[in-house]
Amino acid sequence: MSKRSSSTSTRGLSRREFITRGAAAAGGLAAAPYLLGGSPAWGAAGAGADVGGKLDVLNWILYIDKKSKKDFSAQTGIKLKYSDGIDDNNTFFAKYQEQFANGDHIGFDIVMPTTWMAARLIELGYVQPLPFDLMENAGNLKSELQDPVWDPTGEFTLPWQTGYTGIAYNIEVTGREITSVEDLFDPEFKGKVGWLLEMRDSLTLAMLSTGMTREEIAAGVTFNDAKPAFDRLEDAAQSGQIRRFTGNSYQQQLLSGDFALNVAWSGDVGQLSLSEPNLRFVVPEEGANGFWADVMCMVATSDRNEQVAAWCDYFYDPVNAARVAAYTNYISPLADITDELAAVDPAASENPILFPPQDVLDRLVQFPLLDPDEEERFDERYAEITGA
Amino acid sequence: MTAVQDQPATVDAPASVEVQRAFPPPWLRRVGSWFLSLYAGLGLLYLFVPIAVIVAFSFNAEDSTYNIEWDGFTFDNWADPFAEQGLVDALVLSLKIAAIATAAAVVLGGLVALALTRYRFQGSGFVNLFLVLPLTTPEIVLGASLASLFIARTYPSPVPDSRGFDAVLIAHIMFCVSFVSLTVKARLRGFDWTLEDAAMDLGAGPVRTFLKVTFPLMIPGILAAALLSFALSLDDFIITLFNAGDQTTFPIYIYGAAQRAIPPQIQVLSSMILFASVAILVTGTLIGRRREAAATR
Amino acid sequence: MAGAVESAPKRGRFAPYGLLSPGIIWLTLFFLVPVAILLRAALSDQPERFVPSDLDFTWKWSNFSDGLDRFGPQFLDALRNALIAAAIVAAITVAVFVARRDLWHRIRVRLVGALVAAFFATYIITSTIDGWGDHFQRSFLYAGIATLLCIAIGYPLAYVIAFRGGTYKNLLLGLVVVPFFTTYLIRTIAWQTILFDEGPVVGFLQDVGLFGDSDRLLATPGAVIGGLTYNFLPFMILPIYVSLEKIDRSLVDAARDLYSTPARAFQKVVLPLSLPGVFAGTLLTFIPASGDFINAELLGSPTTSMIGNVVQNQFLVQLDYPTAAALSFVLMAIITIAVLVYAKVLGTEDLTG
Repeated sequence: MSKRSSSTSTRGLSRREFITRGAAAAGGLAAAPYLLGGSPAWGAAGAGADVGGKLDVLNWILYIDKKSKKDFSAQTGIKLKYSDGIDDNNTFFAKYQEQFANGDHIGFDIVMPTTWMAARLIELGYVQPLPFDLMENAGNLKSELQDPVWDPTGEFTLPWQTGYTGIAYNIEVTGREITSVEDLFDPEFKGKVGWLLEMRDSLTLAMLSTGMTREEIAAGVTFNDAKPAFDRLEDAAQSGQIRRFTGNSYQQQLLSGDFALNVAWSGDVGQLSLSEPNLRFVVPEEGANGFWADVMCMVATSDRNEQVAAWCDYFYDPVNAARVAAYTNYISPLADITDELAAVDPAASENPILFPPQDVLDRLVQFPLLDPDEEERFDERYAEITGA
Repeated sequence: MTAVQDQPATVDAPASVEVQRAFPPPWLRRVGSWFLSLYAGLGLLYLFVPIAVIVAFSFNAEDSTYNIEWDGFTFDNWADPFAEQGLVDALVLSLKIAAIATAAAVVLGGLVALALTRYRFQGSGFVNLFLVLPLTTPEIVLGASLASLFIARTYPSPVPDSRGFDAVLIAHIMFCVSFVSLTVKARLRGFDWTLEDAAMDLGAGPVRTFLKVTFPLMIPGILAAALLSFALSLDDFIITLFNAGDQTTFPIYIYGAAQRAIPPQIQVLSSMILFASVAILVTGTLIGRRREAAATR
Repeated sequence: MAGAVESAPKRGRFAPYGLLSPGIIWLTLFFLVPVAILLRAALSDQPERFVPSDLDFTWKWSNFSDGLDRFGPQFLDALRNALIAAAIVAAITVAVFVARRDLWHRIRVRLVGALVAAFFATYIITSTIDGWGDHFQRSFLYAGIATLLCIAIGYPLAYVIAFRGGTYKNLLLGLVVVPFFTTYLIRTIAWQTILFDEGPVVGFLQDVGLFGDSDRLLATPGAVIGGLTYNFLPFMILPIYVSLEKIDRSLVDAARDLYSTPARAFQKVVLPLSLPGVFAGTLLTFIPASGDFINAELLGSPTTSMIGNVVQNQFLVQLDYPTAAALSFVLMAIITIAVLVYAKVLGTEDLTG
């Protein structure tokens, strides 16, 4: 165990004590067998291990560093089962819908869908309010994120990471800088363009390309508003301009040169460009979807309040949050972690992808929540276009 | 093959036979024959192109999360083949399903094959057709229909009312039964059933006759069928995806990894399975040849 | 029935049914009943979008028309493709049998008739469901081409193994099967690694001038068809091998004496006797290929997606069960009709070699 993490664990001590004062003793008892199992890291963390029990977390790929997982377990005594099984919000929902609807436990306590999917889970009663009363650090949340539209009462979600959408490109393949949404439709790149299966990200760019303004989008989108954008996307897909619609796998095609440019998420490109200097990321001059957030939700069948609270608290500690942000290259939902980030990773604290300048921030527009009745028409239409 | 067009249509006329016999000179036949073997060899090679890539990339010293570009040779992945816990769990789950499904299908399908070859009875034609139907139905239809069955909670317990391990098992047994019964049936066809009568005449009871005469004769067919259904179950993706619920089998894990990042351990484990099956194949061939040699001696 | 040729199977009253029943009951419960439930779902209404387990059975035939109507009219495309496909198949069949006048003549006539009828049935069905017609057309077109390629690659390979394999027959046959012990998906992913734009194959084709700078292999219909061909090739090779292996060698020798050229002997004796294997292989290749979605997803683009992709997406992503059920039922109906026609012509005994 490294020096830094042991110091973090000592720092965590008092907070942890506070939490466990409210926690049931059962949690501590449940930790006993685990204690006997004795991981070597255990001794170093020492008395921090007072929550115990187990916690099952389901998250997206490449969304946490290894050290944070280990350190979390060491500090809290919680046996963590972490799965990076979410590839796509829709397939995530489809995979677990049946169990959710039957009231069966899906095998996870915390899931981290994107906000619009979280809104659906809340609406359907598949998730329960987070145990905010057991948390100490939840107040570190950015003020902008404190009145979320996807969670009107604010009880159900706490953002994990936030980010924004833009265009990633391989300068070696494009041969020029990319600045505009129109570049995605440029015949020069025919068959070398990727879009995201995540409809809201793609649709925002397509709507901006058909003349909608950011203000109009922010005010709310109906199916009729989106029609020209859908049509333009369909033309591009049918003509062969668009090579594929993907989820996270676009990274692979960007690296291999199959994509010259594609609609991408900010953090991914931040991670990739570390080893591939030819990769760039831009928020086009017309704008893009942002900030979106992937949010922590507690499934309705979970009874691990203490462990869930410990998880949220751990990652709402600025030092830990900074370490995760430095790894993911996404934007932490915490109010201000600049100093902590500079300590963890000086380069990251100067990375414009993590700290977008004001002119980029001005170009971002948050895709609004869709009316549930209309959402189905959106999804059906998008499925037709993506060829699924 | 080009010679065919040049042939006169009057094949049956004896006079033309002499003409034809002279036409493709021996050297041309040899070239043609050589070319055919070469073509077949290339066909076999084609089957191994992606396999070579899989084995090669199991030694790739990847420097990014995506194991797609060649970054140098290393043994690291092989030194740590079980590094990805999720992958190992998925493989173990798949092996477990394949083993149970094969065992069940061998019993069910073997009995069906025995009935079809051993007896003549009303409706055997219909049964033959029925056995073929699951194989002539696209997997996606099988997958969707089974999923609808489980979702609709059609049957009372113990049939599961949601998708998951039991549902996948039921599905695999279903298509394996078809494969097993058809494979065993093909092997049993032309089988000399009078041997059974002989055993009975010599005073063996029906059970003893089955165990001492019928079953040993069925063994090669059953082994072939078991191997086939094990492989089919292990590799099945589409039907499984529709019915797996939250279970992650080996193919489903790889499908997920293809959306995200492919750890080199996937290639390592795939290569291991490949090498193991080659080893079984070669050993089987050697044993078979030794037996043959012993039998002819 | 083939029973007459074999060593007299016994006539049984109850025993055969007793032996059959466990397997047949299993297949009935988990094959026939699910298909019936699928049909029921295809005629049901799904009141709650996110609760697909609560379906109301309302004889909603409009699921078929509405569900199939989404992609806009493709009527003419469907017509053209079906006619082209029927013409190709008829031409190939006639070409294979063209010089024959004996017993096989009758079979040939029935066969050509059956194939043409099957393709016209396909055409009529797919064209009435114009919306997703292009997905159906694409599925059958790609699967058809892949099947023909499988015959072209698989037949000579099976022939060489059966007739020239000698003592290595089983080993060679094993080598055909061995690649398929690595998972289907990882093999398809390996093709991605081989065919990508900056990869060795495209690079080679560009170097020798066959490809321009912007040409590519991945995300094209060719890649999808290639993937289907590769993945279903053993299902073609094995039944052909089985039927070739059964051929009495003395027949071939006699034919060599009679017809003198190997090509002629092949055409007169070996080919007709191996046709059951070819047809079994055709079914085992064409049917899974037409319902596949992996190759189209991993090697294709939005313009190459097949009906399998649609069913998978409607069922597993959109949770629209009635539409998914209607589409898969249409797929199954088309294929079942075709299979029954084949079975009528060739007899079920031969379907699996």
